[in-house]
Amino acid sequence: MGNKQTIFTAQQLDSYQDCTYFTRKEILRLFDRYRDLAPQLVPLDYTCQPDVKLPYELIGSMPELKDNPFRQRIAEVFSDDGEGNMTLDDFLDMFSVMSEMAPRDLKAYYAFKIYDFNNDDFLCKSDLEKTLNKLTRNELTEDEVRMVCEKVIDESDLDNDGRLSLEDFQTMIVRAPDFLSTFHIRI
Amino acid sequence: MTSYSNGGLFNPAYHDSETLEIDRRSSSKTPLHTNPYARGEGADGHYSTGQISSDDALRRVPRGGWQEESWRGRESLPMGHISTRPRSPSWQHDINHSTFQIPPDSQYDRSLSIRLPSTTSGNMTMRRRRISMRRMSMFPNGDPNHVAFTEDAIRNEMENEEQNLVKELVALSTRDRIWAIRDLPMSFDEKKHIRSQVLAFKSAKKSRQFTCFADCSENMSLSFRRCGYGIRSARQTLELWQGIMKEIGGTFGTSVLSYFMFLKWLLMFNIFSFLVNFGFITIPQLVYSPWPNISPNVSFRGLEILTGAGYFNNTVMYYGGYSNETKVHLVEYNMQLAYFFTIAVYMVLCGIALIFSMASSFKTNYVLADPASNSAWQLLCSWDFNITNDKAVRQRKNNLRVQLKESMSEKAQRERLSLSESLKHFGVYLGAWLLSTSLAVGSGASIYYLCQFEQQRATDSANWSLLQEAETLLVPFVVSLMNLVVPLFYSLFNKFEHYSSQRKQIYALVVRNVLLKMSILAVLCYNWMNVVAVKFSCWESMVGQALYRLVIVDFLFLMLGSFFGEFLSNVIGTRLLPRLGVPEFDVARNVLELIYAQTLAWIGIYFSPLLPAIQILKFFILFYLKKVSLTQNCQPPRRSGRAAQMQTIFIALLFFPFFVGAVSMVAFTAWSLTPSEHCGPFRGLNSTYNVVEVWMVHLKETSSSHWVVWIYQNVIRSEIFYFLISLIIIVIIYIFWQVTRGRKLRIRVLREQIVNEGKDKSFLLERLQNLQKSHPDKRSKQKNPKKHSKRRPDDHSSGGQSTSNAMIQALLARQQLEKEEEERLSTGGVPVPSDISSSSSALIQAMQARQRAEGQERNEHYSAGYYESPTNTSSAVTQAMQARQRAQVEGTYDASDPTSSVSSVMMQVMQARQRAEEEDRPQWVPAPPQNPAPAGSSALIQAMLARQQAQNEYDDGY
Repeated sequence: MGNKQTIFTAQQLDSYQDCTYFTRKEILRLFDRYRDLAPQLVPLDYTCQPDVKLPYELIGSMPELKDNPFRQRIAEVFSDDGEGNMTLDDFLDMFSVMSEMAPRDLKAYYAFKIYDFNNDDFLCKSDLEKTLNKLTRNELTEDEVRMVCEKVIDESDLDNDGRLSLEDFQTMIVRAPDFLSTFHIRI
Repeated sequence: MTSYSNGGLFNPAYHDSETLEIDRRSSSKTPLHTNPYARGEGADGHYSTGQISSDDALRRVPRGGWQEESWRGRESLPMGHISTRPRSPSWQHDINHSTFQIPPDSQYDRSLSIRLPSTTSGNMTMRRRRISMRRMSMFPNGDPNHVAFTEDAIRNEMENEEQNLVKELVALSTRDRIWAIRDLPMSFDEKKHIRSQVLAFKSAKKSRQFTCFADCSENMSLSFRRCGYGIRSARQTLELWQGIMKEIGGTFGTSVLSYFMFLKWLLMFNIFSFLVNFGFITIPQLVYSPWPNISPNVSFRGLEILTGAGYFNNTVMYYGGYSNETKVHLVEYNMQLAYFFTIAVYMVLCGIALIFSMASSFKTNYVLADPASNSAWQLLCSWDFNITNDKAVRQRKNNLRVQLKESMSEKAQRERLSLSESLKHFGVYLGAWLLSTSLAVGSGASIYYLCQFEQQRATDSANWSLLQEAETLLVPFVVSLMNLVVPLFYSLFNKFEHYSSQRKQIYALVVRNVLLKMSILAVLCYNWMNVVAVKFSCWESMVGQALYRLVIVDFLFLMLGSFFGEFLSNVIGTRLLPRLGVPEFDVARNVLELIYAQTLAWIGIYFSPLLPAIQILKFFILFYLKKVSLTQNCQPPRRSGRAAQMQTIFIALLFFPFFVGAVSMVAFTAWSLTPSEHCGPFRGLNSTYNVVEVWMVHLKETSSSHWVVWIYQNVIRSEIFYFLISLIIIVIIYIFWQVTRGRKLRIRVLREQIVNEGKDKSFLLERLQNLQKSHPDKRSKQKNPKKHSKRRPDDHSSGGQSTSNAMIQALLARQQLEKEEEERLSTGGVPVPSDISSSSSALIQAMQARQRAEGQERNEHYSAGYYESPTNTSSAVTQAMQARQRAQVEGTYDASDPTSSVSSVMMQVMQARQRAEEEDRPQWVPAPPQNPAPAGSSALIQAMLARQQAQNEYDDGY
């Protein structure tokens, strides 16, 4: 409190604080991070809600994301247009979900979307293969990829439909407690 | 088409299963027959946008329109269009042409399913799902108007949905509401929208009441909330080492980070204990007698910093430095009571904090964890989003690959283990355990003899010579050396053992280390309580000094050990023996060291109240030291174990042997040992606990607060009370245990049920596929005459069209059926079993139409229409199953249902099922006289329709 800032109005800050897991300080810090990506594009005054969108190239170059194999998917999932171009709101939303405070279900939901490459609301074999290739630099043989994917589906597919639904995924997440600490980006 | 031909027959069929059900619902709701054109156009418009781009659709439909509907609406679209076609075949063609230019359904179904769920629509998807789940409880079976295909309907629906959500949110308290809004899986803008609506709703409601008061309270709550956020912000500023934590997490991953988190957590514990002790014991002492009575011939020589003896002996650092007086200055302050209660309350608080963090950690990390889903976990949950370092990412990818390969080969390996091999393994385990246990016992024994030796030499005098003082460092030195060296042996043993999993290996290592540390500490405690307590005049201070030395020397060894250990092995690994490689940071060993250090501090809290200060300093320096050592010498861990579970284990270890041990040691001292007679707050008492009794006597005499005395005598000192309490607790534990068992059973049953449902589904689908496969050759010979009448001029255009014609007819027939039912309901009200006969005519009609559709389809089996039929039929079956499920569910939940009608419908279903099965059987017999397959399928369909009807009536029952 106390120190004056003119980037947001008090109401804006309130709504940011109510809708994300961040405090005012973190919001301002994230705004700085956002602005640092493109100082010439992002105005210092957000009170009139300018329509600014940073392209994916800039978002993906953040140190937090730049080495992440899923950076493009993350950006796509959280951006409004689905192509990775983000407004400040999308940006805050992304880090809010990835923050420590976000509950398991919310994180699981977005993780599911990230892994769901073809956006069909199911993790099918092709999604898993893509995930696997992203995680192992394409160094597994086709056979191995197939085996791993089959095993994954075999282990987590509760209703035997040959693919993982969100519910399957959430059940798996509940049993994998590390997920909460690993699906987390510190800012 | 491709999606079908490459074996994906299952899934699309599944898709359509929902469509059928939904379009039925939609048609039951909307007046189709009155104005078919309008509906058709509306739908066409949609369809085309859906095809061009989902973005377009998003833009056209007012915000969230599609999104709202996406999870059902998307899937239901194709059938929705069909159902909205007008009835006459002559129109059909025209409209079909206008809409199905890029023909068959499969493709458009696919295109929609891929394009529509853009990110935002997905968000809503989930929300919808949740809301609908939540609302299921209120309106079982959902509202039938979920699926309406015009923009208006969608918008209305969306608004309804939103209104409901807003209403739910308004009903919550402010705090809950904010959390609920945060937890909505929607994009920020949507959340903001919801939030503003909630606020508007609230203020509107308030303004009708006392305006001024409402304003005031609103402002108050707002300012409170802002204040709360401010406090949270401030707390975050105070948060230690955020940047460093991020850096460590970025390069070494979460498992190494967990060590540092643990260190920080312990540091917080110590800060708290320091504040408590300093505030309630030391400050009063310093206020009343600021200068310790150090004898003049004792001077500060520098060695005291290591030994804690000599100069420090009579300061507030140790027990001996405190007086037993009741200070009367501004207020009366009884040092005895203060000392006793501060320590006691601190211990209790520590215990509670540990129990709570242990319990919550167990709850989230251990109880639900399931080792069975290993590769799923490795693939989908193990990626550490924390990692931001390029090198670490590469390494992690490599590790993951290796791990996956290992886990694949592991299974094969495990089966090949022969008897002799397993015997050999068993022998190695036994040897390693014997060795490590004897090592632990041996070190305990050697420390015992060392202590005896030391006691013989030590004299009970105030000023020691420098050499004497230095000699006191012998025991802590040996203890720390053992703590450093013996674990190295343990790690060596570990290399020879072959554990099937890494987890077991770590557990074995941890258990051995714990045994070692326990035996050392037990011997030390025994020595303090039985030898030191008898020999020295101010024995509490002596114990305090010994602990101080242990803490300090342990710190030195930690520094040396970690720095030189990691540094040296780094040098060796990179320069001399590249085979060994850069060392990894051993989280388990390091955490155990921390636990040991903390135990020393807990034991010492009674004897040396300011020991936490030393501990704070120690941990603070250790943090930076470990960080430097880590970044300079170590590489990220090769195996990403399940860090969270390890952390739980560590907290549990910290609690169970170590904290409990420390508390019992302190409690024993307070209860049974005689405090030294010439120093400390409890001089002259039989035991420390006596202080409470003395206080009680005093209270009784002054007669100011009898209730305290009463409580003391009837609660604290009465066995009956403890007996009852423990009895009650045991009963509660038993009850909870039984409840847990029951829940476990239930979980198992439910899981089995899920699996069975899945099997059921796949079995039926498979059967349908078989059915479809066995048709084409037979049916292609036996042509259905109706087909020619239907396929008029544009016979050649596409096979799929006429198929869909028949389909449409079937659907229309069904709609009619439903309409009739609706009418019946509107007039008759409660459904009665006799109604079935009236509706069954429509049913039969529907069935016939469906049959016809299928017949035609089969004729065109080799043309484009092939894929159509399996989807339809299978979807029908799936739907039937769903209907049955729902019927069952509702049947169980709603007791007020007219049972007679239910049972009759169920009977019908059963009969139809039977017939279907009977008729199915001959189908496998080669070359039956007439074509049995359609009959079989028609019976199936009949079953399905009957089921729908059953469902309808259930719906109407509400």
